[in-house]
Amino acid sequence: MSPSLSDHQVHAARPVLAAKGVVKRFGGLTAVNDVDIHVNAGEMVGMIGPNGSGKTTLFDCLSRVQEATSGSILLNGTEITRKKPHQVAHLGLSRTFQILRVYRDLTVLENMQLSVQWGKVGFVEMFRGTSKATTERAEHLIDFLLLTRLRNDRAGSLSGGQRRLLELGMALMSDPNIVLLDEATSGVNPTLIEEIKERIRILNQEQGVAFLLVEHDIRFIRDLCERVVVLNYGAKLAEGSPQQIMENNEVIEAYFGADGTEVSGSGGRV
Amino acid sequence: MSNASRSKALQSVGMVLGLAVIAWLFYMPVHGNKAEVTTWTLLLTSVALAVNWNLTGGFTGYVDFGHAVWFGIGGYVSMILITPRSSLQAGWVPENWPIWPSIILGALAAGLVANIVGRFTLKLSGAYFSIAMLGFFVFMREVVRVSKPITNGGTSLDVNNLEIIGSANYWYYIQLSLVIALVAFSWWLRRTRFGSSLVAIREDEIGAEMRGINTTRNKVWVFTFSAFSTGLFGGMVSFQGSSIEPDTAFIEVRTIDAVMGSMLGGLGSVMGPVLGMTVLYLLRNVLWANLLDYHLLAQGVLLASIVLFLPKGIIGLFGGQTGNIRKMLGMSEREGSRTSTFDGMESSFDEDGNIREGARTTRLASEAEVEVPGI
Repeated sequence: MSPSLSDHQVHAARPVLAAKGVVKRFGGLTAVNDVDIHVNAGEMVGMIGPNGSGKTTLFDCLSRVQEATSGSILLNGTEITRKKPHQVAHLGLSRTFQILRVYRDLTVLENMQLSVQWGKVGFVEMFRGTSKATTERAEHLIDFLLLTRLRNDRAGSLSGGQRRLLELGMALMSDPNIVLLDEATSGVNPTLIEEIKERIRILNQEQGVAFLLVEHDIRFIRDLCERVVVLNYGAKLAEGSPQQIMENNEVIEAYFGADGTEVSGSGGRV
Repeated sequence: MSNASRSKALQSVGMVLGLAVIAWLFYMPVHGNKAEVTTWTLLLTSVALAVNWNLTGGFTGYVDFGHAVWFGIGGYVSMILITPRSSLQAGWVPENWPIWPSIILGALAAGLVANIVGRFTLKLSGAYFSIAMLGFFVFMREVVRVSKPITNGGTSLDVNNLEIIGSANYWYYIQLSLVIALVAFSWWLRRTRFGSSLVAIREDEIGAEMRGINTTRNKVWVFTFSAFSTGLFGGMVSFQGSSIEPDTAFIEVRTIDAVMGSMLGGLGSVMGPVLGMTVLYLLRNVLWANLLDYHLLAQGVLLASIVLFLPKGIIGLFGGQTGNIRKMLGMSEREGSRTSTFDGMESSFDEDGNIREGARTTRLASEAEVEVPGI
C-alpha cells in the first residue's frame, strides 16, 4: 500500500516536527552531524541506518532527552530547543524507547493511568486520584491495542511484544500529534509485528497521528511509510520513498558493502 | 485463600491493631510517669523523621543522607528567634517571640533552604545526591559552629524563660497528633497523581519526564515538604529540651535512624517507616541494656542484614509490595544486566544506557520495577 502523491502534498503544508542542522557531539565524537528532518501532520516517516548511525541519539535530541550541540527543532511551530522533555510532551510529542520503559510491577491499566496528559493536570487535580475520564481513555486504548485480557496483569509478566504494545499505549495516553517510535518491532514475534503495524496504520489514518519510526525491519517501514530517511555515521545519507531507498546504491553500500548480496539473503531485513 | 482476600484480611487486622495502638498511645500518659512519656516522645520524633525521609528516600528514590540538616535548621532558627542574643537585639530579630510562630518559622526556613538546595542537588542521581546532601549537612553544622554571634557557636543556645516550654505530656500529645497526621498525609499523598508521579520518577525518571511529568518540580516540592516537616520537629524538640547545640541538632544518627527505620519497615511503603522505627527503637533498648559496649556494632550488623536478607522490610514479609532497597542502592542484578529472555523478546541493546549527560548516567531502571502502594 503506497500513499498517493496528493496525500503527500496535503501533508507537506504543515510540518509537525521540523529539525534543522541538528548536531550532537560527545567530546570528539560527532554522533549526529547536521541533520535536517521534518515530519508533516499525519505523515509517517521512517528512519533507518546501520547500528551506531545516530538514530537513537537523534531521537533523544528531538525529544529533548539529550541536549543537541546545535540546531533548531520546531514542534507544531514552537521552538523546543531549550525546552525540557516534559514540556515537549505537553506540546504533543510522545516517544517510546528502544529499551522498554514500562513499570513492571504495576498492572497494564495502572501503567496506562500513570501516563496521563500531565500538562493538563491542574494543581488541584494533581492531588486527587486518577480521574474517571483517564481510566476510560486507558481502557479504550487497552482494548484498541488488544491488551484487554491482560489489563490487570503485571506489566512484567507480559511478553516483549505485548510490552511494546503497552508502551505504544502509554505514549498515546497523552493524545499526541506525533509519536517517535524507537524500534517498535525489536524482539517481537512476526504475528505481533503485523498487529503493531495495523494499530499504527489505524492511528495514523483515523486520528491523523504522525509517526517517526526508527526500524531495522525494512518491510515494516516499506508497508507504513511514505518517506524514509537514511542515516549513516550521524549524517543524512539519503531521503526518499521506500522504493527509492531500497534501490539506492549508496544505501545498499552503507548497509552491506558494495555488492548488496545480503539484501535477498536476509529477506529484506536490514 | 487468594492473594487479594489474604491482603484484605491482613489490612483489616492491621487497621484494628493500628486503632488499638493509637487508643493506647493517647491513654498512656494518664498512667505513665514522666520518664516514660519522654521516652515515647523521643520515639515519636524518630518516627516522624523516618516518615518524612521516606517521602524523598522511599517514594521518590532520592536517598537523602543529610536529612538531619533540616532538623538542625528548624531547631536553630526557632531557637534564635526566641532567645535573642545581644548582637541580634539591635535590630532585625524582635525580642521574645512566642513559641509556636518561632517553631513554624524555623520549619519554613528549613523548607525554604531545601527548596533552594534541592533545585541543585536533586539534579544528581543515586550516590551523587546522597553525598551532596551529606556534604551540605556537614557544611551547615560548621556554619552554625562558626556563626558565634548568632548561634552561640559550639556551645548551647538556651531558653531563658523556662515557663514557656510546656510539660512533657503537652509535647507528647502534640507529637503524637502530628505523627498520626503525617502518616495520614503520606498515605493520602501516595494515592494522588502527585504521589504516582513520585513513584514514576523513582522507577524511571527519563521515562517519567518523557511522559510529561515535571520531574524537577515534583521532586523539589516533596523534598521541600519533607524538610519543612522535619524542621518542625527540630523546633519542637529544641524547645522541649530548652536548649540546642550543634552536636545534638546536627547529628548523623538522626539521618541513619530515619534510613534504617524506613528500610527495616519497608522502603517506599506508608506504614514501613512507622513499623521499622518502632521495632528499631525497641531493639535498641534491648541492645543498650544487654550489649552496652557493642550496641553500635550490633546496629551496624543489623543494617547490613536488612539490606541483605530483608530488602522489602517488615512490610514485605506480610506480602505488601514495597520498594526494593537493593535495586535502589544499585545492588540489583536484574537492573544492571540486560540479557535476552528465553523467548527472545528482549533486546540486548544498550544504546541509551548513558542517556543523559553529566552525573546522571545511571540507568534508572529502563525496565522499571514499580510497586503498587504499600499498606
